[in-house]
Amino acid sequence: MTELNPALPRATKKWKKTLRLYSQQKSLFFMILPWMIFTFIFNYLPLTGWIMAFQNFRPGKGYWKSPFVGFDQFAFLFREQGFWRAFRNTLAMSTMNLVFGFVFAIGFALLLNEIKNTYFKRTVQTISYLPHFLSWIIVCGLISNILSTSDGAFNNLLMWLGIIDKPILWLGEPKYFWWIVAFANVWKETGWNSIIYLAAMSSIDTSLYEACEIDGGNRYRKMWHITLPGIRPTILVLLIMNLGFILNAGFEVQYLFGRGLVMDVSETIDIFVLKYGITLGNYSLATAAGIFKSVISIFMIVTTNYLSGKIEDERLF
Amino acid sequence: MDKRRLSRICSFILISCLIPISAACVKNPPMNRATGQATSTPMDTGSYIDEDTGLTPMPDAHNPITFKIFIRDPSAAPSKSNPVLRKITELTGVTIEYEFLVGDLAQKQGVMIASEDYPDAIFAEANKFIDAGAFIPLEDKLPNYPNLYAHYSPFADDMTYIDGHQYILEIYSVTLNAAPLFEPTGPGFFIQKAVLEDAGYPIPRTLDEYFQLIENYKAKYPEIDGIKTIGFEILCDGWRDFCLRNPPQHLMGAGNDGDAYVDPITFKASLYQISDTAKDYYRKLNEVYHKGLIEAETFTQNYDQYISRLSSGAVLGFFDQGWNFIPAHNVLEAEKKYNRTYIAVPIANPGVKDSYLDAPSGSIPGNNGIGITKKCKDPDRLLAFYDWLLQEDVQNYLQWGIEGRDYIQLSGGGKVFTETRRKIQNDDATKRDLTGYILWNYSPKRQGLYENGEPCGPDDSADEYLMSMSDYDRSFLKKYGIKYPAQLLSDPVERPAYYPLWAMSLGDGSAASVAANKVVETCRKYYPRLILSAPDEFDRLWQEFVTEIQNGNPQPYLDEINRRIAEIMNRNR
Repeated sequence: MTELNPALPRATKKWKKTLRLYSQQKSLFFMILPWMIFTFIFNYLPLTGWIMAFQNFRPGKGYWKSPFVGFDQFAFLFREQGFWRAFRNTLAMSTMNLVFGFVFAIGFALLLNEIKNTYFKRTVQTISYLPHFLSWIIVCGLISNILSTSDGAFNNLLMWLGIIDKPILWLGEPKYFWWIVAFANVWKETGWNSIIYLAAMSSIDTSLYEACEIDGGNRYRKMWHITLPGIRPTILVLLIMNLGFILNAGFEVQYLFGRGLVMDVSETIDIFVLKYGITLGNYSLATAAGIFKSVISIFMIVTTNYLSGKIEDERLF
Repeated sequence: MDKRRLSRICSFILISCLIPISAACVKNPPMNRATGQATSTPMDTGSYIDEDTGLTPMPDAHNPITFKIFIRDPSAAPSKSNPVLRKITELTGVTIEYEFLVGDLAQKQGVMIASEDYPDAIFAEANKFIDAGAFIPLEDKLPNYPNLYAHYSPFADDMTYIDGHQYILEIYSVTLNAAPLFEPTGPGFFIQKAVLEDAGYPIPRTLDEYFQLIENYKAKYPEIDGIKTIGFEILCDGWRDFCLRNPPQHLMGAGNDGDAYVDPITFKASLYQISDTAKDYYRKLNEVYHKGLIEAETFTQNYDQYISRLSSGAVLGFFDQGWNFIPAHNVLEAEKKYNRTYIAVPIANPGVKDSYLDAPSGSIPGNNGIGITKKCKDPDRLLAFYDWLLQEDVQNYLQWGIEGRDYIQLSGGGKVFTETRRKIQNDDATKRDLTGYILWNYSPKRQGLYENGEPCGPDDSADEYLMSMSDYDRSFLKKYGIKYPAQLLSDPVERPAYYPLWAMSLGDGSAASVAANKVVETCRKYYPRLILSAPDEFDRLWQEFVTEIQNGNPQPYLDEINRRIAEIMNRNR
């Protein structure tokens, strides 16, 4: 028997080896089990709801009795102007958030890293990440007060400087809307996002700075040639992860500020889904939009991961 | 294992086995539903009458139960120590736990329906829940409850849903004898009383007259109590933007119908949103905006900011529905700024009779009330509770309180509150926490006049209305020669049977509802722009707006409501 099939013992051997490895790590398996169950229940089980996108779903009838309509919901979605507008808004705001988020967080971390007075540095760091813990509804309240046309701080400042002669309705002008959202995000998240870069910077070998100093490098040189390359892996990993969320432009700011005047630029895919799915009761269409969003996200994350692996040899998976 | 430990374990097991058995023993006895009397009770409560209130307790009062009810209004639940509610719980065994709306109603409903996570009963947009199969039919149960049956049977037709079942216990205006209307709770162009007073008590009837009064007053008093005077406010926050979108239909002489104008003779629906009246109205707003009567910020502020502006007393006029700005009204009354409170004036197109007030129709919408969900613990118990509440002396207790302490019986038969109780009644918080108002308001209830002509509650009582009026208001109304603010408007109008459109269910996600939503969204987007545009830009922008409405294809919506109107009107012919 064994002579007729020489592959068998080798396969068995390999299998045995794997089994032994498994049994060696069984405590680790045991530890990860709860999280696998958790992920399954909360991340995979809800996917069964995707079936709604291919049905004309009615809550009274449920999954089993609602009629199947194939790709009709998707066809309607792609013909719907409002959806493409929401898509454009989402992409635009999210790109702005991404770019400004990265530039400001990295810039802030670089500058903060140069401060040698530890006490001052810590204080600044703490104060700067506090806004992260404020709820968006509070932040939006603050912003709408600051931008108010009746005695709002920003309009008053501009008028005092003589830049404008009458208050501008900042929240009512479509052309300012994306910038306000981007600014709000920067204000709220810069401090928080910079923490991870500061951590990465602290692990850079100090002898590299000494070497640079010996070579005659000044402060800016050190920042450019040592600090920045030192945190490059961190930047790349965060970029890959963030690109996966490119279609999550946030929801609260757009929802809270989205009045009739700025509706064309404020509606994101999440708001579109909320409007059709929950408010108008068309759960199927909303699910289709959600699926579309997920597919784009997966595509983005895989592509960036692949590209990053090609260019930098820095991959997430 | 030693002997002692073994015996302990054994006795523990024995005791834990006994607990469910003994619990089963005290379960309540079966109840004879037809009479609402328990067939046998361990403690005879039949002859017992409560000393404080003179009310007879329910037979299963000793058996506590809690019902959770969702209420579509953004409000707060009464405090747990509310003496009236505690007494009711003591007499009935029933505790009602309220969940009031936080945030957007449509979303909350969508989430409830999608998750099928229902409380025991729901007061919201009933049609959605009926379509989702959330409510249980009640027509077979109602005849078992004499008070409920007597209350609802005259309206059986109105209550019957298209599938032939009755699901909803209507809670508003279920009465055959309505009381006179004292104050408009519905739509209206409101104006500050001080403006009318200052101008020598005129009655403005057109938009031009209305805005002229406001303009004059603002020019005369650029500041009120140190705050910059605001001529006209327009609330645009979410679903409350009816303040922005609805006025044209009222100017055309319609009531608070919905998202279309229905011709009173042909019963054909059309979009008032793009009518000439609408064009003129928004052009007028554009004109007064450029005169500085409207602050552009009104288009970006939310409901809370709106209420706080009205509460300051510095706003001269606005279009709204009475119930929507009650919080601001209450603040102004509490601060005794009576001349800064508002009154609705009969604004309509020239030559058109205003029709803001609905006459009692002797019919009900049939879907504006409580539905009992399929998740309800004990629907029969809840119905029995509502049946008990409908007794006249319970209604009196909830609305008026206790004689001598809360109200005084007048020699002519009417009732008026005592001074202390009226203070409680005038403050929302104390009214909620010290009286039975919330329970009364969100349950099947008696309204209007009893068979003997006596008003059911303070809101129906002319005696109480006149007693509670401030001296300022009394002399203000005297100048106009009227007794109640509502008399400034034309007499209540009898509405056709289909009325109102907004209560019609278009079917979730149907072509009609998508089309209707598109019309609303387009208006929401364009009206503020039209008002803020440069005057010479207006016509071009209006054309753009009309084109966008038509491109959105509103026809499925109009077809659906025309079909439904014809159906109802034919049935009622």
